[in-house]
Amino acid sequence: MTLVGEPGAGSGALREGTGADAVGGLVPARVARPDGTEALGRVMAAAAREELAVVARGNGTALDWGGLPRRLDLLVETAGLSWIEHIAGDLVVEAGAGTPVDELYGVLAAAGQRLSADPVRTGGTVGGMVATGVSGPRRLLGGALRDLVIGMTVVRADGVVARSGGRVVKNVAGYDLAKLHTGGLGTLGVIASVAFRLHPLPPALRVVSRALPSHEHAERALEALRRSTVVPSAVELDRPPEGPACLRVVLEGTPDGVEARAAETSRALGGEPEVADSLPGGWGVLPSEGTLALVSVPPAESVRAAARVGGLSGAAGAPAHVTGSLPAGALYASFPPGAGAGAVGAVADGVRSVPGWSMALLRAEPDVHTAGVDLWGEVPGLPLMRAVKDSFDPGHRLAPGRFAGGI
Amino acid sequence: MSETATPTRAQADVASLVPRLRRICGEDGVLTDTARRRTYESDGLTHHRTVPGAVVLPTTADQVAAVVRLCAENGVPFVPRGAGTGLSAGALPHAEGVLLVTSRMRRVLEIDVENECAVVEPGVANLDVTRAAAPYGYYYAPDPSSQQVCSVGGNVAENSGGAHCLKYGFTVNHVRGLDIVTPSGEQVSLGGKSPGAHGYDLIGAFVGSEGTLGVATRVTVGLTRSPERTVTLLFAFTSTDAGGQAVGSIISAGVLPSAVEMMDALAIEAAERAVACDYPAGAAAVLVVELDGPAAEVDAQLAEVTRLCAEAGAFETRTASGADERARIWKGRKSAFAAVGRISPAYIVQDGVVPRTALPEVLRRITELSAASGIRVANVFHAGDGNLHPLVLFDDAEPGAGERAEEVSGAILDLCIEHGGSITGEHGVGVDKACKMPRMYGPDDLATFDLFRRALDPDGIANPDKLLPTPRLCGEQPGVRRGPHPLVESGRAEQF
Amino acid sequence: MTDLPADAANETAGAADEAPDERERLFGELLDDCVHCGFCLPTCPTHVLWGQEMDSPRGRIHLMEQTHTEDVLTEAAVGHFDNCLGCLACVSACPSGVAYDALIEHTRHRVETEYDRPRSERALRGAVFALFPHRNRLRLLRGPLRAYQASGVSSLVRRSGLLDRISPSLAAMDRVAPSLSSPPPALPERVPAVGRARARVGMLVGCVQGAFFPEVNTATARVLALEGCDVVVPRSQGCCGALSGHAGRLEESAGFARRLIEVFERERVDRIVVNSAGCGSSMKHLDRTLAEAGADEAWVRRGRALAERVVDLTEFLVDLGPRAERHPLPLHAAYHDACHLSHGQGVIRQPRALLAGIPGLRVSDLPDKEVCCGSAGVYNLLRPGAAVELGDRKGRDVASTGADVLVSGNPGCSLQIAAAMRRAGSPIAVTHTAQVLDASLRGLPAERLSGRA
Repeated sequence: MTLVGEPGAGSGALREGTGADAVGGLVPARVARPDGTEALGRVMAAAAREELAVVARGNGTALDWGGLPRRLDLLVETAGLSWIEHIAGDLVVEAGAGTPVDELYGVLAAAGQRLSADPVRTGGTVGGMVATGVSGPRRLLGGALRDLVIGMTVVRADGVVARSGGRVVKNVAGYDLAKLHTGGLGTLGVIASVAFRLHPLPPALRVVSRALPSHEHAERALEALRRSTVVPSAVELDRPPEGPACLRVVLEGTPDGVEARAAETSRALGGEPEVADSLPGGWGVLPSEGTLALVSVPPAESVRAAARVGGLSGAAGAPAHVTGSLPAGALYASFPPGAGAGAVGAVADGVRSVPGWSMALLRAEPDVHTAGVDLWGEVPGLPLMRAVKDSFDPGHRLAPGRFAGGI
Repeated sequence: MSETATPTRAQADVASLVPRLRRICGEDGVLTDTARRRTYESDGLTHHRTVPGAVVLPTTADQVAAVVRLCAENGVPFVPRGAGTGLSAGALPHAEGVLLVTSRMRRVLEIDVENECAVVEPGVANLDVTRAAAPYGYYYAPDPSSQQVCSVGGNVAENSGGAHCLKYGFTVNHVRGLDIVTPSGEQVSLGGKSPGAHGYDLIGAFVGSEGTLGVATRVTVGLTRSPERTVTLLFAFTSTDAGGQAVGSIISAGVLPSAVEMMDALAIEAAERAVACDYPAGAAAVLVVELDGPAAEVDAQLAEVTRLCAEAGAFETRTASGADERARIWKGRKSAFAAVGRISPAYIVQDGVVPRTALPEVLRRITELSAASGIRVANVFHAGDGNLHPLVLFDDAEPGAGERAEEVSGAILDLCIEHGGSITGEHGVGVDKACKMPRMYGPDDLATFDLFRRALDPDGIANPDKLLPTPRLCGEQPGVRRGPHPLVESGRAEQF
Repeated sequence: MTDLPADAANETAGAADEAPDERERLFGELLDDCVHCGFCLPTCPTHVLWGQEMDSPRGRIHLMEQTHTEDVLTEAAVGHFDNCLGCLACVSACPSGVAYDALIEHTRHRVETEYDRPRSERALRGAVFALFPHRNRLRLLRGPLRAYQASGVSSLVRRSGLLDRISPSLAAMDRVAPSLSSPPPALPERVPAVGRARARVGMLVGCVQGAFFPEVNTATARVLALEGCDVVVPRSQGCCGALSGHAGRLEESAGFARRLIEVFERERVDRIVVNSAGCGSSMKHLDRTLAEAGADEAWVRRGRALAERVVDLTEFLVDLGPRAERHPLPLHAAYHDACHLSHGQGVIRQPRALLAGIPGLRVSDLPDKEVCCGSAGVYNLLRPGAAVELGDRKGRDVASTGADVLVSGNPGCSLQIAAAMRRAGSPIAVTHTAQVLDASLRGLPAERLSGRA
């Protein structure tokens, strides 16, 4: 096998796949662990020559995201691409795809900075975070994860290493290809490194939490926040299957500033909100098990959508925990582990039947896959996406089947 | 001045389309006579000029789609154009092609306050979105300096920023939905009022694609709540170094102003002559800092920024919070580009980016370049994000001055690349910088850009010769390329 | 052209031969100032209407360049030059200081001298300029007898179809300005200051203002006197030449200018106060008009001396400072910036300041206030379609303010907007800044302005 003979790939860099390496039930024949971007390029070039189907893996926390791959010959691990180049004065960091997210955040925090996106999984890598592409609660100021990526190096299906963007925030030279790879689940290329814009860690933070006994309370609270000028970093809904929902408003800034804003937020929300000066445990992290869906709706319909998802899933016997950013219209529905395909499908159908609403299953349990539940629903622009796929990966070898429309 | 050659065969093709173009856009929606077509020969960058084969002025998305379909069926190139204010010749017409002008598609279709978004046609002026949203307490955040005239469609094509993008980001961060006409003439709706769309982020990739992937016919943009308080500060320094240092300390202190703009002595002189902006006498650099947000935050930041600038050596500080006072401070900055005409017969506006930490060094090197060449350079820039706009001054009546100015301007771009920056922060690549792309990206990078372009425009009819270098445009690039040019290799271009 | 003043056409004799070349060279330099930035587009009324480059200042400058460098005047180009209202909004919007006013005036002159217009259009234009710059002829068109009286105006005017075009405006005028049917007595040549005199000023009566809005002149003289000015109103004054000049009829315009200069040179006045925006704008560069028309240096100097003393009423009053008591006027007024006041003279702040000084008066700005109402001198007669569309837009903008009365500093604008609002079924009373001040200074009830009992 030529992969072994590739200089720089090293003998330890290639091994036989085992059951532990399986993705969607497919065990790869081989697993490669290149030690750098160039080596990754050589591995991918060799895979192209041999027409191997390839899936990339960071720390394996999201291998069950997306559709089941139709083929898998080679698993490429990015653990060898772990490095951080933090240019603190420019509020920019570039990190290898295999860099653990925790490590990156630790390095940044030590310098008083942060990547202003809350990770939705623990234990993941930078490459995995970007390839799955979803954003946590604090997205209202700095933007969603896609808004923070300023440059990316990707290895194409044919092994060519290509860079787009750069290390400066303001840059309009060339196409912003990183946007395609962010959330692309590795179907257009393997991410080798990502450059992000950073923000200073705000000196002070307040979380104003208010229980929402009813749908109407939630609507009123959201309306009041929209009218205010408190500029929250996050307005996060937490709607468990049982018990009252809760709204958490995160305010970040100077100590005096957040104090005043927290008071104003409390007034706007009404009731008797609690004010805390730190985030609750497990902030923004989605459950690691069970079917997980992302529901996207116009922001003004967020509260209604959350109620509908809760109602539909409860009626179907698989009550989902709904969380997410109300002003962003982005809700996560976490189904209880073991939720049946019928229940998940019923919720998906119910949500998708409302004009302007969409629902994608980010992660589906095997039973849901087997039953053939449509993970994506209708995706506008799918023919264009297929054209992009055909151009970047004409042999359809990168995680085939994992993306929308069977891409 | 560059004139693109005009082969005659395809010109006839455009002419043969005219009756059908008239059926699509109506009699007054198609311009064919030379005098009228010539008024479209350039956008805001006038040293590139090409008379378009035909000009169409559609009023609906269906018309746009029909025109593009007709072009696609006949292999005729088309070039989209908004208000024609671009500074990279991104809307330079094609001599054998159709210039598709969106200036008659200028309705604000909807201001949706509950969903905090606006739905507009592409020809709507950027500032008109804000005007329509203002009564509800909202505005449209991206504010390029041509905002009263530049179109939203053009902003989408160029991913426009503006003075306030330091805090609020660029067009791409605010576009939620796009209806586009693809280069084959199909109409596709991407996204909508819901900020998240599933599948590949085609909106993200379309924004900034300079009209090479199609035409946006309807744009949904997010609106931003008008801040509770806005304060504009002006600081005067005795050197640009001191000003640069102040910028560094503001940013590293964790303050995120909405804008941080700097002007050097020459730029100040020009602005004074043009609009009598009355900046502090003796300033070698002024810094305009704008803070906005909740009142309590702005007040805290105001004290911090003032202290940091004083520490960096500011010898005069002005603080303005009323709209008129703020406008007075901005007046000098906003007039600076056009004002340079008052101190020099001709000038080149450059647009490059350096990492903010490299600003003082790059400014010093620009001064050296200027001294060595005898060409004056006025500096006006978005200091907060390292986006330089050096104005290279020359007298076009003096033989060779234009060439020397071009050299200085090019050398400044080299400095940007050398320091890890970009050849364009907001003006775009267009025709003007297409041949400079290989200085920033390698052949593989460029070939990958082209893979994407061809995926959506396999026949290469959407705004050809823009954004990526072609041999026709740039000739050979010795010393840069390894092996055959990627565009040649990929079959997109032929070498003659 | 028997209707033309006899001296207008002949006075250019003796202009230096090399002057036209020099003027062409200067014209080329002025063209070069345009950097093609497009900032003029959004405030250009024809670009607002038609959204095409050739009907924007930037596009017209491009057409001028073509005309200049290739020395051809195409039919297309002339059409687009004619489409220009000359509102000068582009001059205000231009960051590079392009002198579009000088450019379009020069271009129009060239069109007038070189371009062979179709016969019907020639007749219409001839008629317009045989009628409008002449107050006495205009007066015949006023009031219920106008149809009958008009027959006496001139055969040229009758044949041209001009009266048909004017009629709707005239009819509207009678409705919006009921006082018109009983015009105030003619102004005396001297109106003494009330109290100690602070200044001695000349006053321009104007053609349209004098004929159709004599009460505005009366109000102006009264306000000036109440504020302590000796007002001189020379009876022999004629047209200032603005209408002709804006249409490229330079020689005609220069002829009017010379007569005006002679008239006012005879009076020893500190300033010449003008209450009609179009006239003031033109009179402030009488020297340029004379130079363009090829007048000799002595006349240009005399023109400059006069131009420097010309001042808009509101400018003058703000500089002078208030002395007379302002009585309350509980009224909601919308203020419309006449183009030749705001763009032509940069007078924006002063009328607002004066109105703001009146207790009880609430003043609203119009949306898109920098865009022309479509009146533009005689444009509404030459390009009625475009003028009506622009008038309708402006009418909607005025209606959106909910004001009781519309205030402006130019008679043509008032007519145009009032007619549009009547068409739209939301008539509004129109008045001049001078009349509002007059009412306040004299303590008249607000209803006198709003027309509401």
